[in-house]
Amino acid sequence: MLPSTLEDYLEAILTVTGDGGRPAGPQEIAAAIGTGETAARATIASLVEEGYLERMADDTVRLTGKGLEVASRVARKHRVLQCFLTEMLGVDADAASKEACTLEHGISDETIERLSSYMDGGAQPPPGRAGRCRGREACTLLDCKEGDTVRVAMIRGPRRNRRLLDLGVFPGEVVQIRRKLPNQSVVVRVKGCDIAISPEIATSIVVESCP
Amino acid sequence: MRFALVGNPSVGKSLIFNQLTGLGVEVSNYPGTTVELQRGNTCFQREMIELVDLPGVYSLDGESDEEVLVRRFLEQQDTDAVIAVVNVTRLERNLYLLLQVAEYGLPMVVVLNMADEAAKQGIEIDPGPIRDLLGVEVILTAASQGKNIDRIIPAALAATRPSKVEVPYDHHIEAAVRSLGKISSADRKESIRALQGFGDNPDLLEAARTIADEIESRHRMTVTQIIAANRHNFAHQIAGLTVREKALHHETDPDSILTRIFPGIPILLGILVGMLLVVFIVGSFLEEVIVGLFNVFAIQPFLALGLPPLAEALGTSVLLALQAGLGIAFPYVFLFYVIISVLEDSGYMTRAAFLADNAMHRVGMHGGAVIPLTLAFGCNVPAIMSVRLLHSRRERIIASFLVTMVPCSARTVIIAGIVAGFVGIGAAFSVYAIVFALILVTGLVLSRVTPGERFGMIMEMVPLRRPDARLVMKKAWSRLSEFLFIAMPLLLAGSVVLGLLEFFGFMAIFEQLVEPYTMALLGLPGYSATALVFGILRKEMAFETLAILAGTADLGAVLSSLQLYIFAVVTVLFVPCLATITVLLREVGSRITLAVTLYTVALGLLIGGLMYRILA
Repeated sequence: MLPSTLEDYLEAILTVTGDGGRPAGPQEIAAAIGTGETAARATIASLVEEGYLERMADDTVRLTGKGLEVASRVARKHRVLQCFLTEMLGVDADAASKEACTLEHGISDETIERLSSYMDGGAQPPPGRAGRCRGREACTLLDCKEGDTVRVAMIRGPRRNRRLLDLGVFPGEVVQIRRKLPNQSVVVRVKGCDIAISPEIATSIVVESCP
Repeated sequence: MRFALVGNPSVGKSLIFNQLTGLGVEVSNYPGTTVELQRGNTCFQREMIELVDLPGVYSLDGESDEEVLVRRFLEQQDTDAVIAVVNVTRLERNLYLLLQVAEYGLPMVVVLNMADEAAKQGIEIDPGPIRDLLGVEVILTAASQGKNIDRIIPAALAATRPSKVEVPYDHHIEAAVRSLGKISSADRKESIRALQGFGDNPDLLEAARTIADEIESRHRMTVTQIIAANRHNFAHQIAGLTVREKALHHETDPDSILTRIFPGIPILLGILVGMLLVVFIVGSFLEEVIVGLFNVFAIQPFLALGLPPLAEALGTSVLLALQAGLGIAFPYVFLFYVIISVLEDSGYMTRAAFLADNAMHRVGMHGGAVIPLTLAFGCNVPAIMSVRLLHSRRERIIASFLVTMVPCSARTVIIAGIVAGFVGIGAAFSVYAIVFALILVTGLVLSRVTPGERFGMIMEMVPLRRPDARLVMKKAWSRLSEFLFIAMPLLLAGSVVLGLLEFFGFMAIFEQLVEPYTMALLGLPGYSATALVFGILRKEMAFETLAILAGTADLGAVLSSLQLYIFAVVTVLFVPCLATITVLLREVGSRITLAVTLYTVALGLLIGGLMYRILA
């Protein structure tokens, strides 16, 4: 699974570009997500690296086939959920959109299908800012404090960092930040061992805070 | 019979190897690699058994030299049984490697080491589950106390069956393994490796590539990640069955002081400075004793023989070379390696590398480079050899330049003998300051211009523990013999050449030729140029040659303070010694070696010339 933040990005790009056909610039995407341009650029770069986006000549990006597939699926989940919340449960439209933003990442494809057919296939996309989420930033190991316990969501450029895998830092694993120097070098505890990681590698480890 | 020891780094593998083999260990480079392999023999019930100590690795699927070596060794099935050493205090991570080793289908014995430390940490171990799941003999040992070590060899001799364990992979991976098995009759291990893109069967690899792409698009995780995660999860399960942690009684964590900026950095600096002080004080004392004894018991009796002049010149050269070699090699290098081995074995070295990471980054390397750079203070030769610890060629190139500039113990002899001895202590420290400043500038420039990708540090902080005295001495001794083996023949040859040139009067001609240039450029007399040239053979020979050529050991009487100072600075910077050049050639190739040599020559002459202009 992609971390939910990244799904949010793909979804937002799909929404701002209409159908994903035209390229989108970083400012545009940042505005749609509701975050800073620098943060957006970093996340976009990782999505490009993972093959969900492709870079165009003029600093803009476009969804790849793979990216479009993920974005469409998430957007559809958003629509179905929002529709269910407003039409069937009578939740306020704004609240329903926010709620849908959270639920869309956890719900399975099958449940969405059943929910959709339950609503008799009549799920009309509700008006308003459908399919957009004001999300959290994509956190990396560098954004964590000493003492934090976090779950690894994704490792950018996994082929470069084979040793991380062998030492037990892989998506899904829970790690504890044992030490963080002012120069951003970190020590994480994973599987009872302390692993020192330099800043440029730590920044490629995307994490989610642990429940 | 041959058995191989496999395990993670710092699991006590070397200690077990040493306890099993005793003396007569042979260190060799594995064909085609720069990784060291230790071989030793042991006798059991009148049967000769060869033991191979493979380098410590975290995985068999990685691309580091060590991992490739261990993989190749196991693939060749060149061993009758594998002795897998596991650190029980870090069982889960160690089991990850153990599961990979088990896939190679060799008869196996599992050694659960460090039972004493586990007990101290309140960890209770039940070897039953591992024995049942893997179907191999499991021995609980405490190598630091020698407990149960004697059971390893009998168990390895009795081991005939490979482990029957199979890691339960994700069902997509299992399906892929089945279909690959049908397509090209690859076994489970080969299929798993092919899915990760390893192997030498192109058909199998291509089929695996297609399946792997399919799996990756479904999982949104690479196949490598899935396989690693499956292995880790299985290791986690086994560890859960094996280990029962009792209530953790809290002990103080030394890392809370060692890896913080404060007081970690002052401690690091203190250790580095203290280490050098010990080397210099004890080293120079030992050197004086050895050189003195050599004079009284070898050189003087030899001169008293009254041999013909040519034979006497040759004999004297050989004796002088032996004297210089033993005087330097033994006290400085041996002491230095004792200290370095203590730092390595205690686990402090990884803390130092972590703290130094950012500083080393500025000069284009990661924290691990602090190890070769510190080693370089003892001798550039082993420091250059340890440059191979660095991951990328880019880092190795930068490190080779910087390491050759670090004042080694031989250059310290020059700084201490010439500058501290005849000019003053303050001046001696200023030579260090100049050299360090130049190293820093060189590093800053090189980190900008050297091509290649930058790699970061991913390093395990090995647990702190008390180093084993015998192991430390043994390591230091093996490094020392390596040094003697490389440096001694060169030193002898160089010394003989020097003696002959002097005997036949070539030196006088050379001096007359270069005198105008050295006078104009550096303000030094011609014979000092000869000393500089012969300093290439061994750095401390520059000092001795200067004394011989000047005709007196009281250099202050024939040369001014400024001349001595400039001579020392130029010698310290000028060209790495011949032994360093030979190892440079082996580690980084001829082009970089040539660049390093030219750079240091130019730098030495430039700085020396500038000083002469400014100070004279």
